[in-house]
Amino acid sequence: MSRAFYAKLALTNIRKNAQTYYPYMMAGSAAVMMFYNMLYLRMSGEIGAMHDSMTVRTVLFLGCIVTGFFSFLLLLYINSFLIKRRKKEFGLFNILGMEKKHIARIMLIETALTALVCIGLGILAGILFGKLALLLLLNILGMDASYGFDVPPRAVIMTAVLFGAAFLVNLLYNVFQVHVSKPVELLKGGNVGEKEPRTKWLIAIVGIAALGAGYVMAITVKSPVAALYEFFIAVMLVIIGTYCLFTAGSIAILKTLRRNKRFYYRTNPFIAVSGMIYRMKQNAAGLASICILSTMVIIMLSSTVSLYVGLEDVLRTRYPREIAVMAYHVDDEQIGKLEAAVAEIAEKKGVRPQNPLSLKYVTEVAVHDGQTFIGGRGARYTDKHAALFTFITAEEYNRIEGARAELSEGEALVYVEEGKLPGDALRFDGFSLAVREQLDELGLAKEIALNDLLPNSYVVVTAGEADIVRVRQALYGDGKIGIDYAYMYHFDTAADRETQISLVSALYSNLPVDGYADGREASKRDFLSVYGSLFFLGLFLGALFILGTVLIIYYKQISEGFDDKERFAIMLKVGLDHGEIKRTIRFQVLSVFFLPLAMAVCHIAAAFPVISKLLAIFRMTNVPLYALCTGLTILAFAVCYAAIYALTARTYYKIVR
Amino acid sequence: MALLEVRNLKKVYTSRFGKLQVQALANVSFSVEEGEFVAIMGESGSGKTTLLNILAALDQPTGGEVLLGGKNMGTIPEKALAAFRRERLGFVFQDFNLLDTFNLRDNIFLPLVLAGHPHHVMASRLEPIARTLGITDLLDKFPYEVSGGQKQRAAVARALITHPSIVLADEPTGALDSRSSDELLHLFGEINRQGQTILMVTHSVKAASHANRVMFIKDGEVFHQIYRGSKPRHEFYQMISDALTVIATGGGTK
Repeated sequence: MSRAFYAKLALTNIRKNAQTYYPYMMAGSAAVMMFYNMLYLRMSGEIGAMHDSMTVRTVLFLGCIVTGFFSFLLLLYINSFLIKRRKKEFGLFNILGMEKKHIARIMLIETALTALVCIGLGILAGILFGKLALLLLLNILGMDASYGFDVPPRAVIMTAVLFGAAFLVNLLYNVFQVHVSKPVELLKGGNVGEKEPRTKWLIAIVGIAALGAGYVMAITVKSPVAALYEFFIAVMLVIIGTYCLFTAGSIAILKTLRRNKRFYYRTNPFIAVSGMIYRMKQNAAGLASICILSTMVIIMLSSTVSLYVGLEDVLRTRYPREIAVMAYHVDDEQIGKLEAAVAEIAEKKGVRPQNPLSLKYVTEVAVHDGQTFIGGRGARYTDKHAALFTFITAEEYNRIEGARAELSEGEALVYVEEGKLPGDALRFDGFSLAVREQLDELGLAKEIALNDLLPNSYVVVTAGEADIVRVRQALYGDGKIGIDYAYMYHFDTAADRETQISLVSALYSNLPVDGYADGREASKRDFLSVYGSLFFLGLFLGALFILGTVLIIYYKQISEGFDDKERFAIMLKVGLDHGEIKRTIRFQVLSVFFLPLAMAVCHIAAAFPVISKLLAIFRMTNVPLYALCTGLTILAFAVCYAAIYALTARTYYKIVR
Repeated sequence: MALLEVRNLKKVYTSRFGKLQVQALANVSFSVEEGEFVAIMGESGSGKTTLLNILAALDQPTGGEVLLGGKNMGTIPEKALAAFRRERLGFVFQDFNLLDTFNLRDNIFLPLVLAGHPHHVMASRLEPIARTLGITDLLDKFPYEVSGGQKQRAAVARALITHPSIVLADEPTGALDSRSSDELLHLFGEINRQGQTILMVTHSVKAASHANRVMFIKDGEVFHQIYRGSKPRHEFYQMISDALTVIATGGGTK
């Protein structure tokens, strides 16, 4: 047999399987394009010119890994689907006298062709769209773009190698599949009489329990630090719960429905329920994956979008005033020195501090063990009963808040910023403060930025320094320990952006004490490069995951279409008309289609509190904004989803008819 | 009046661009009386299946008409056709056509569910039919759990449960071993004695010998027909066999 013969056969094969192969090639090209784009952005010279390019590059590197990994898996998944469909074809070749090595040769040519098309087209499109992606990224980061056009050869080579490897793995898998099977089995393909799945109550219950536990954890989470900690456990539980529920729970529900005779013996439920029981057996894992994937896409998009959009908000929370100077372990003399230094530097820059706020305070972390606060060096921030104490003297309190509180020793005013007070006194080991009053409002709490990370956070106003020292001695179990003040000095400048930034760097390098200087404008650049690149990554990966979801759904529908074809042919003979068939198909497809999405929306709703808490770590505390972003993302996603549905339902009906 | 009347039925298949025309039925006319058990025989390509598809309203004739109970099937609108099919006709196929996703009971209920009957009606109709066919104990089993003969009996039950005017059977014994075939044919005889009209397409002489009348189709026309009358089955078998030999050797070419 001549070489041309194989090539021709391979070409005809691809053309004959156009319905499944063309989407495969398109998806492959798209994956190649996206991966190339990520690499290109990471390697592009223009990002190197940016301030803080390391952060952006790190985020993009992360993006490269996720994109590459996901694309790889996606191609493997689609291939395994394609080869299952084509077993019959290869079985026929085998029976017609082709040896397995000949079939392998055809497969080799087919794969080579597909790979060539995908990688070639993908890189070409990548080069075209790469610049566009770069412009988008720079725009998001607030940078100016130049109008060059470069093709980093390393990116091209790496892309070609990675996807070449993916296609090679696919080829090996396919050859192996054909090699281990007998011709008769190949001919039969997937059509083996399938048993009805059994109801696995245990797994269904495990699923409900895992999902419930995950939800409860996510909803009741107390603080951002605890959130970070518990979030991953909750995510794991929800993933497990989703898989269990889709695999076992769905079948349990369907079988219960089937037992209800008055419901079941009507045209739509009759056909749909019986069909779904089988469908669920084969597709539960796929549907659960779609559900998880959708959840991830939506959460990723909505959180990165809200971080980016809420940047100004974030900065305002983080920096109530334009410039922030912070010093640690200081006494009054050092504070005086610091204030003088700040005034001098500001004057040099031509800035007169306005609207200043200074505060000296003491912070301690302690853990409540049910009786007393135990603290000092052993206190762990991640503990559920961890509390942050910010102590100020009544003098400072009166000065800043314009109050006239008079306290005697052993008394305190307490403002609770997070959590609850354990009783009417703050008991430490060997010393306690009676809570004279719990304050409803405290203006200076906003200025102390650290507070919202721990589950409990109190600002405690004491009569004088002596009580603070007593608390410290109790916490550290050391009678000789003294005071340890932190000092902050916040002010506005009324100066322009550039001046503010140069003032901050001048302050930073000339502080006479242990501390740092920071500012809203100076941080904006850093924040923008972090949130902006995260936002870009969110958009990018969101697009990639949607592509993945689309493909999984598309192939699922097609394979189900082939399976259902015979069933509907029989029903047509027994007396179902085309209109009814169309209706039942719509019912069936709709329920399979929107089940994962509905479940995903449930997950997102449950994750909402915990994500809001996590965003608080990034100083994003504007919950309504996050809610809006989430809502819009869900809507956008649902529109995409509905479009895919319309498309696949049509293909499905064409197959079945 | 006859239950089923077929008049000058014609069917021509045209290839997609009209280049090639194949005549499947040239001119077929016959009638079936109520309570008859008719077998239609013919070689492959003689037009048997085309004829059955037209009778089943799955295909439209190029010319001629089919009347069932006096009603011209060509005049039934597309929308009412599915309902007509499931209420007036019962089907038994060579490959059973049972749905894997239903147990035998639900397979049998299928046409009634589609027709919108309440569950208790279905249950009460199934009971005597299942008893006659001997599948009462198998109703909860799935098609992949039972033998071919049992599947075909379930298919017969599905055909009978709508109380159709006529049962159309397409090679019902084609996929069965000889013992199951004998059982099924006896059941057909039994059902027919209870008054059910049956029209069966087959090329098994043995299957045809269970009928009251055998029609032979050749080249798209009814070529010959013989009645069993009161003859014993083995004698009728011989007659059918002889007729086939004559037809096959071309003795009867017009």
